[in-house]
Amino acid sequence: MLAARNITKRFGATLALDRVDFEAHPGEIHALIGENGAGKTTLMNIIAGRLRPDGGDALLDGFALRAGSARAALGSGIAAVNQSPMLFERMTWEENLAFGGFAGDRFELAAVASEARTLAEGLGFALPPARSTIEERSMAERVRLEVLRALSFTPRVLMLDEPTGVLGPSELAAFLDLLRRLRAEGRVIVLITHKLAEALAVADRITVLRGGRVVARTGATQTNASELARAMIGDLPPKLTVAPKSVGNTIALAIRNVTLHRDGHRVLDQVSLALRAGEIAGLAGVDGNGQSELVEVLAGVLRPDSGEVRGTEMDRAELTVIPENRDLVGLILDMTLWENVVLSRPLREQTTHRGWLDRARARDLCAQLLRRFQIRAPGPETLAAALSGGNRQRLAVARALASGPKVIVAHNICRGLDLAGAAEVHQTLANFAAAGGAVLLISSDLDELLETCGRLLVISAGRVRETDLNERSAEKLGMLIAGNWT
Amino acid sequence: MILSSLARAVAAILLAGVILAGVLLALGASPAGVFMALAQGAFGNWYALTDTVVRSTPLIFTGLAISISFSGALWNIGADGQLVVGALAAGAIGPQLEACPKPLAIAIILIAGALGGAAWGGTCGWLRAHRDTNEVISTIMMNFVAAQLLSWSVHGPLIEASRAYPSSTPIAESAHMYVFFPPSRVNLGIVIAIVLAIACWLLLFKTDVGFQLRAMGRNRRAATFFGIPIARLTVTILALSGALAGIGGAVQVSAITHRLYEKMSPGWGFEAIAVALIARLNPLGIVASALLFGALDNGSQAMQRAQGVSAELVQVIQALVIMILLAFDTPAVAQLWSALGGSKVAAPSAISEIPNA
Repeated sequence: MLAARNITKRFGATLALDRVDFEAHPGEIHALIGENGAGKTTLMNIIAGRLRPDGGDALLDGFALRAGSARAALGSGIAAVNQSPMLFERMTWEENLAFGGFAGDRFELAAVASEARTLAEGLGFALPPARSTIEERSMAERVRLEVLRALSFTPRVLMLDEPTGVLGPSELAAFLDLLRRLRAEGRVIVLITHKLAEALAVADRITVLRGGRVVARTGATQTNASELARAMIGDLPPKLTVAPKSVGNTIALAIRNVTLHRDGHRVLDQVSLALRAGEIAGLAGVDGNGQSELVEVLAGVLRPDSGEVRGTEMDRAELTVIPENRDLVGLILDMTLWENVVLSRPLREQTTHRGWLDRARARDLCAQLLRRFQIRAPGPETLAAALSGGNRQRLAVARALASGPKVIVAHNICRGLDLAGAAEVHQTLANFAAAGGAVLLISSDLDELLETCGRLLVISAGRVRETDLNERSAEKLGMLIAGNWT
Repeated sequence: MILSSLARAVAAILLAGVILAGVLLALGASPAGVFMALAQGAFGNWYALTDTVVRSTPLIFTGLAISISFSGALWNIGADGQLVVGALAAGAIGPQLEACPKPLAIAIILIAGALGGAAWGGTCGWLRAHRDTNEVISTIMMNFVAAQLLSWSVHGPLIEASRAYPSSTPIAESAHMYVFFPPSRVNLGIVIAIVLAIACWLLLFKTDVGFQLRAMGRNRRAATFFGIPIARLTVTILALSGALAGIGGAVQVSAITHRLYEKMSPGWGFEAIAVALIARLNPLGIVASALLFGALDNGSQAMQRAQGVSAELVQVIQALVIMILLAFDTPAVAQLWSALGGSKVAAPSAISEIPNA
């Protein structure tokens, strides 16, 4: 049995965990649910020995684990999968997996790769092309690799932090089956999630955290979604209040026949799409099908091999991109909040006079954004690293809106956000569209897109296709996302 | 922020002193005597004091060169070569300035030094920006090219009239730097160095370009996403970094040597990395840490004479200071500092980022 007793953890002034007790048994899937910042990930990291608690112990079968030793935790059979994959960016995936328990701990890449392939096939995962480095892989692929790495230790306890956010509908069912299979083998499975349906579908027991405290413990059959949601957030999330405005005919963004190759693969294949002012269009697809590259083309980081990108005024300042991987690209974590705000070029121009940065104005601007978007932070001089995931995301959205764009391209921005947080972001985007802006919402979460977007496109293997209303069923869209376009 | 990093540096120096005292005791030398002799040699009298300033001056210039390039995660290990080329340019043009009024002659010689260093650093910047050549390697290699170029110049085209010694024709009298309080060697160079330190500090922390540079240094990929012109910034900053080191070389020629010799730098460009790291890349801190290093260098001679301890002991002190700073530069210690009333936020240090080159 895995147990945590009386765990307390403080980060600076924030009490992240407050005397938390937690228990999970072999042969059960235990869902740990809660809002962003509730302390789920912190609890996982403490059990996995990555963080040292300020008080309390983690125990496995009654024996206390050495606090703050990841090696000791792994040695006792506790493996954890991170929400933001912790992989070595510049190494190949085989080398990364070699850090796992494959090939009996020998550093033989061929043996590692073949064992990984066997394991992956058993789980229905596809592995990346041989010898490709992590930095060129999508988030979904990274998460899969990290699950594989964790399983390679044949752990008795497997903890997974929001693993399903990056999986497509077809992968999700297979993944939940995988969890059930691991449970049947008598392991302890701890699933951290904010998706209530998922927790109810797969978990045996559920623990709810709110603000660093356990607020509910229950069997999955003795509860329901609305009860859990109330426990998690207190109130139910508000629905969108702005009806999508009738969309005009002004084209805000036009992409024509954009093709891009990377490492000899065609990652974008004759992509064409048009966005009208006032609309939120969704682009659905499983991560790794060209979304990241499309975003980079739109951000001006990559130049397409052929085709063109056009806005109304052909001005990059009119288009703002909120990139997917917020820790690596969207925010610079070891800079202050106001510095992160003025990373955006239009905002920097507002706070710069003849080359001199007006710090007071930049701080004011940042403080305004913190207030307006209710970002919980001590102030503009805080380091971005000190913010919780949800607040980082709010900051990225706030910055994008503040730069006064006509078009916002947002990539997986609600990943890892709780229901209230996601609703808030969607509301913000809806307000922006209602005021005449255009939004391209790229996401692997189909439910999110169906709820939010007036128009839906699908991307698969670098090709983009429009869908019509009678294709808006989960099955049909699942087919399209999987590339069955006929 | 500045205060807490200053306190940290002072604490590291004190701790290094304690460790060293232990070593000296074990060797049977008197720690008090050694430290007194060191201090005496560095600050003991007017002559010692002024010479400490003179010895620190080139370290400020090269330290600033390191500061602005490292702030952008551009690992310029070639400040030594850039200083040498700056000196070479100054020494080559110096003899031609006979007819110039003094202020103009000095300006020309400094500009020549800046351009020489900028060419050396800028080349590595261009290679990094447009040919993806690792600047660590290219700047190190360019040090050797600079050293050989200087050696060839003083044996060949620039050799003095009698052709007897490998040194160049002396520069014109009008190009000699203003010297304060003769016969001391304190000169306008230290003022220029301090002015440039302030300018670098303003550039890094008060301007848009400096912000872009720091953003690039922290996260190059994110900087790309936000439209920061990485390639242009790389070339400009490495050229500017080279120019700072080059001015250091020109000041040395104009104020101290008045001509070129085969060896112009005892390794100031490398010592500068230590100087800059102790100052946590802060240009104003570099003035202080360069003075410390200059004082240690200067005091070491007197220490050797008075106590019979090898002058190399000073390098041990320098190494100890750096290692202590690095060893205690961890988040836990940063928290301790803030708990003791230092800075509110534990900023990750520039030093700990360096391995990510």
